[in-house]
Amino acid sequence: MRPLRPARPILVATLLLVLAAGGAAAQNSERVLAATLDNGLRVLLQEDHRSPIVSFQMWYRVGSRNETRGSTGIAHFLEHMMFKGTPAHGQGEFARLVEQNGGQDNAFTSQDVTSYYVNIAADRIDLVIDLESDRMHNLKLDAKDIASEREVVIEERRTRTEDDPGGFLGEEVSSIAFKNHPYGAPIIGWMEEIKRITPEEIRAFYKTYYMPNNAILVAVGDFKAPEVLAKIRAKFGRIPKGPPPPPVLAVEPAQNGERRVTVKKHAQLPIVYLGYHVPNQKSPDAFALEMLSTILSEGRASRLYKRLVYERQLALEAGGDYNYFSHDPSLFWFWGTPMPGQTPEAMEKALLAEMEQLKTEPVSAEELQRAKNQVEATFVFQEDSIHRRAGLLARFELIGGYAHKDRFVEGLRAVTAADIQRVARTYFSDDKKNVGVLLPQP
Amino acid sequence: MMCLRRFSAVLLLLVLLLAVPAGAAKPIAHREVLPNGIVLLVAERPAIPMVVVRAFAHAGAVLDPPDRAGLANLTGALLTRGTAKHTGPELDSAIEFVGGNLSAGAGRDGLTASLAVLKKDVGLGLDLLAEVLLTPTFPPDEVKRKSAQIQAAIKRSEEDPGTVAGRALAKLVFPNHPYGVPVEGTVESVGKLTRDDVVRFHAANVRPDTTIIAVVGAVSVDEARREIQARFGAWTPPAEPPVTTPPVSPGGPPRTETIEKELTQATIMLGRQAIRQTDPDYFPLTVASYVLGGGSASRLYARVRDEGGLAYAVYSYVSPARYGASFTVSAQTRTAEVPKVIDIMREELTRMTREPVTERELKLAKEYLIGSFPLRLDTSSKVADFVVAVEEQGLGLDYGDRYKERVAKVTAADVQRVAAKYFAPDSFNRVVVGAPRP
Repeated sequence: MRPLRPARPILVATLLLVLAAGGAAAQNSERVLAATLDNGLRVLLQEDHRSPIVSFQMWYRVGSRNETRGSTGIAHFLEHMMFKGTPAHGQGEFARLVEQNGGQDNAFTSQDVTSYYVNIAADRIDLVIDLESDRMHNLKLDAKDIASEREVVIEERRTRTEDDPGGFLGEEVSSIAFKNHPYGAPIIGWMEEIKRITPEEIRAFYKTYYMPNNAILVAVGDFKAPEVLAKIRAKFGRIPKGPPPPPVLAVEPAQNGERRVTVKKHAQLPIVYLGYHVPNQKSPDAFALEMLSTILSEGRASRLYKRLVYERQLALEAGGDYNYFSHDPSLFWFWGTPMPGQTPEAMEKALLAEMEQLKTEPVSAEELQRAKNQVEATFVFQEDSIHRRAGLLARFELIGGYAHKDRFVEGLRAVTAADIQRVARTYFSDDKKNVGVLLPQP
Repeated sequence: MMCLRRFSAVLLLLVLLLAVPAGAAKPIAHREVLPNGIVLLVAERPAIPMVVVRAFAHAGAVLDPPDRAGLANLTGALLTRGTAKHTGPELDSAIEFVGGNLSAGAGRDGLTASLAVLKKDVGLGLDLLAEVLLTPTFPPDEVKRKSAQIQAAIKRSEEDPGTVAGRALAKLVFPNHPYGVPVEGTVESVGKLTRDDVVRFHAANVRPDTTIIAVVGAVSVDEARREIQARFGAWTPPAEPPVTTPPVSPGGPPRTETIEKELTQATIMLGRQAIRQTDPDYFPLTVASYVLGGGSASRLYARVRDEGGLAYAVYSYVSPARYGASFTVSAQTRTAEVPKVIDIMREELTRMTREPVTERELKLAKEYLIGSFPLRLDTSSKVADFVVAVEEQGLGLDYGDRYKERVAKVTAADVQRVAAKYFAPDSFNRVVVGAPRP
């Protein structure tokens, strides 16, 4: 019920996603019907008969990390094109058919994946299987459609980045934090490259990455899993397997000194971002980083809110965020928006002081237990939504198997205050920080 | 960070009141009125061990005195900042230690306190919920702190062209009604609010005889009644009757406002007063709005986005509320194309008034509006929001069934007739935020 603008979406979206992943998952994994078709398509089906609906999701293992220099934004551009038609289903027909059947659909592109979903009455699942199998293999990618959609993507970039101070600054900080790995480029792409990308490149990108052996199909809902699997086999099974997509070889070299960017832009309040390179879920430190993120930012009792927003009244908002699911090592982010009359220097200093304290003092038993309870409860809450359940299965499948979900909870439960102190010391090194400051211009 | 294919605020806006239950088999919730006037709504959803509660009081910004804009909002935000038993930080720790959420805030028509807890913690959660509604203490330092935060957030929101445009449009559409004033107030008005204002507002307006409590989740009707009665049963209404708010009055001749900002994109909003669900024409209007700009198959989406490449976000929607309604057409486009997008909006509005929609469009809109219902009630939070909304707007818990019947009966002639009444382009107020080109 907050009428005002919520916190900057760039980081918060990931945070929710990660938090949603916590908790007591064990009871569900065994009820998943998992199969891999001969052409490599991975299929995960979970029955949920509470409502007569289904969430049907396609997750392609391709995102901005698969892009090469000069072609940033191509994965996201292609995501837009996935709605522009095939020979069997012309322009606009995907949306028309889904809506006409009472369904809702959308898609997103991240650094690591491109995901499409349709939530719809369960008795319409055949339609979705038909549409999704068709556009996996038969997309038209007509030059004229690409030309008009390019303008749409450019407008999207204007909304998200050019005219959004937080989005603009985040892009700048990522680009200094990664000097080699594609995580340094914006998902939506640099404006000049969105304008440049050719239809040939988009077609080649589609052909390289949109194939059954590079995709995960997840459905949760009111159906009989073996029946749906048979239908999936019948439609998707016809699509030929493709050659394995080229691996991403870029490795981000160790950071050797502080990096800093100051952006002057029309805005009302300053923003401060801090980014530190951290490992992803392949590291044993990932659980401690995940808990740390919760302790710092989840709720009004969390550290950064309680101290910087509430007690010191230095910040309008402040938080920290870690992406456990990141395919390659990424950044642990901190951010803060100073209250009017407060300076970005004071904001940065306060965030750094919080980090110092994490290094020198263990978090309290209460903080740690609260964070564990929050993660577990959030998990139960999100079980309420079949859309989120399906998304979570896919997230874990992407990092090595949906059954990782169970280990995730155990891992989080085992984190100690000493672990958190250790990871803070290891990764939040003062001379390896990436700092972004937005200085508002009138 | 993610990039969505499609701007999704529309879906959020549409979620609540366009919803349509499938079939009349079972009422969506149990309803009863407690002795002190609280309307209790209970929907059992036993599968997941969690409980969601919404407590809604008719204490929204419509009740803000004219020189006290933002008072309901400040009052709502302060409910969780201290009670007779707990300080704000103690409340935060208590609910978050069990992984729950407790929040409160005001909107145009009401003030809502929301709770989400695991089933095992429902006793604690309801204790805290009752405290924040019944015995908030509004400590002076919390009032000061929250006022400053709201002022800062208002300042920050000036960065967001959609928010700026929405505020300006509301003022034009509802010039003589509290709906034209921002819920959060202005930096100046919030600066003038005092603790006494808040205390008085709470005492007069947060009262059992205008409160709706919805309990949804792993809980039975008996259990919910017992737990709510135990905590809210002794709550008595003040002697004075509840304050009433007049419905909106006609807005007068449409106006145009341009707000210059240094941006690469302009936000365009056309808006006017419309009708709410109690008017039989509401249903054809809903269908008309859907055909015009409701989804990815709509006329505006096709022309402005798919064919024209002129915008990422373009849509139209009806916003019904308790005391009135508005209809809005909106898009964001590059500065140079503002005139073109406005022209297309006007052309498509006009076309809706001059010719009937095609059978195919009509079918699509109706089937979407009716068929997507189960998706709109697929979580406990959505069910709680829906039952509170139909109750507070006086639509009845069977509203969904009636809605479905009414939408199913809408004809192309109805759509054209209602469009002729509400879509005449010259009847719209217009706001453009960005660097303008006339």
